Amino acid sequence: MLRLPTGLTMLDMILSQAVNGLVLGFLYVLIAVGLSIIFGMLGIVNFAHGAFFAVGAYFALVLNREFGWVAALAAPILTGLLGILVEIVLIRRLYGKEPLLGLILTFALALLAEAILRLIFGGAPLPFSTPKIVSGVVEWGPVLITKYRVTVLAITILALGAFWAFLTFTPFGRIIRAGSRDPEMVGLLGINLPKVLSGVFGIGCLLAGLGGMLAGPLWTVNPSMGAGAIMPAFVIVTIGGLGSYLGAIVAGVLVGLVTAMTVQFYPDWSGAAMYILMAAILLVRPRGLFGEKWERFE
Amino acid sequence: MTQRDDTSVPPSSPLSIGRRGLLLGATGLAASAGLGMPWVRRAAAAEPLKIGMLWAKTGSIVDQAEYLAQGSMLALEQRGNMLLGRPTEIVWLDEGNAQGAQQNAERLVGEHKVVGLVGGALSSYALAISAVAKKARVPFIAANAAAGALTGSACNKYTFRLQPPVDVHAKVLAPYCASLGKKWYLLTAAYAFGQDIKKAFGDYITANGGTIVGADEVPVGTPDYSSFILKIRAAKPDVVIGGISASDLTTFLKQWNELGMRGRIPFAEIAVGNTDLWGVGPQAADGLYTLTWYYKNPNNPPEEQAMAADYMKKYNRPPADKTWMGWYSMKSLLDSIEAAKSTDPDAIVAAIENWTNKRGALETRYRAFDHQMTNRLLVAMIKPEITDKWDYFDVKAELPETPADIEKAFGSQAETACKMA
Repeated sequence: MLRLPTGLTMLDMILSQAVNGLVLGFLYVLIAVGLSIIFGMLGIVNFAHGAFFAVGAYFALVLNREFGWVAALAAPILTGLLGILVEIVLIRRLYGKEPLLGLILTFALALLAEAILRLIFGGAPLPFSTPKIVSGVVEWGPVLITKYRVTVLAITILALGAFWAFLTFTPFGRIIRAGSRDPEMVGLLGINLPKVLSGVFGIGCLLAGLGGMLAGPLWTVNPSMGAGAIMPAFVIVTIGGLGSYLGAIVAGVLVGLVTAMTVQFYPDWSGAAMYILMAAILLVRPRGLFGEKWERFE
Repeated sequence: MTQRDDTSVPPSSPLSIGRRGLLLGATGLAASAGLGMPWVRRAAAAEPLKIGMLWAKTGSIVDQAEYLAQGSMLALEQRGNMLLGRPTEIVWLDEGNAQGAQQNAERLVGEHKVVGLVGGALSSYALAISAVAKKARVPFIAANAAAGALTGSACNKYTFRLQPPVDVHAKVLAPYCASLGKKWYLLTAAYAFGQDIKKAFGDYITANGGTIVGADEVPVGTPDYSSFILKIRAAKPDVVIGGISASDLTTFLKQWNELGMRGRIPFAEIAVGNTDLWGVGPQAADGLYTLTWYYKNPNNPPEEQAMAADYMKKYNRPPADKTWMGWYSMKSLLDSIEAAKSTDPDAIVAAIENWTNKRGALETRYRAFDHQMTNRLLVAMIKPEITDKWDYFDVKAELPETPADIEKAFGSQAETACKMA
């Protein structure tokens, strides 16, 4: 068996890369799920989702700098509240209108958010380190992973599980699911749908903010950091099927694994790998892996 | 008492236009046109001169571009925003990608009628702008791009470059890297800059009895380097040679530290920006680098110390190396326009070719045969302990030492791939 200078076999490397890809994939899932539910419930393709990811990272950075890591945990909530405000002021004017308007408005919003971040914090990246309590690496046999990435994985799985439980078992979750399929009927039943939609947009932004907070110590924190998140998120949502929660999770893990394996064997193609995967899946399943026919969008 | 209707114009009043009046007016207009309409000329003279600036406002190099832009604008402000006795303004457009850089360069030339261009934060952008400069015959100074082709195989009469090319940086840094070990791993960006680094360092180590134990090309904007770092760890090199720029380098170094590699395997890279390291943070910053300038270098001449003081006063932070590069490139262009006493592009090109400026004992200039500026580089290491949030580097050396060594490092006219048309 081929042995590398460290004594690792190629199988060890594949295992190590797979674990690493899994962590990366789950971070992508967190960003993509928010994008997916906003589309599924509101019918808006939110180009500003990456901007909320960046805002989450900046909230966490400032709170961490001023008050410590515990305070930084409030960053996703603040991002979610900001999302609700944006929905009330801007997004709700788009419901039932031409989809192109939503694309234009959210794209403009993304540019505006980046410009505001640049105005406040400058264009240069700001330092943001992992908390000491979760710094360092752990080695399980051939697998090397950092404590921080294990923490990211655990928080992501917890957040996704909690959100699934919220959608499945709470009355508000049921309203959201019903509203995503037939908003008029939900309205006729006497439910205040605008408030529900504000909440959905806020939750989507909260998840993006959580992704930003977790990615801040790993990625470069600068005003354009959202661009690095939004493309994988769109690819994952497309692969998984627009509006599909399970699809986003499966697609995120797939993208993470494929990216990591491409780095191992064909590094020159690592940037293109997820797009090739997307093209291949769409050829076989044009609606994505778990995509369904939605009467609202047909 | 009679009332006068001021709105009525009697037939004999001077405001009525008869046949004679019409003829007189037409003759007068024709005469004034023949005389060159001095009042129109005065109005044109009052119109500001325009200098085009292309630094990224979006994309992966935006961190460095902010400092490049501020340095460029400072150079004009230090002249009271005047050039050739005329008010002068900078028109700043984005260069978010190579195509955007080309389109905006065309806009600056076509719409804004700029008399010169400064820009090109990345090599791919600079090469795109250079093509426009050549076609439109507008002088262009690339401050930050390091790919060899710009003043090599793709050189042209209207393009000048401040940043030393990759192979000069490599000649300075490679011997330091070789002293750390002979097994190198190359991690370079998948575009001209990274490919030049791969070739220059690869050629050096193989010619000096070393080996390349791994070489990966990384897409621009890669958000996660952990898979690459796992490969590096498995290959066990003595040194990792980087060729990734700006925020990509920041991300890599953060993850390099996070995965416990900082201090275990030395990391080296050429032509990095101060901002790249400032974003990494004191706990994670690591490496051996070449820089073009450093604000704490005691050998900075008085003129540059004054620039640094002006910048500090205006922005309340020290200037980055990119500030100096933006400032120095713009200064050389403005000096040359003044020297040319004209906005004629060929006159400006000739003036840039003759432009020289003393940096201490060293005379910097753009070489006439390839339009490459010759200058020294700094070899710098990250301080063992960083106590000032801006001061990350210990400058180890300024190389090449003598003017003869500089000429040798940059190569002679016979050695260059540039064939100036």
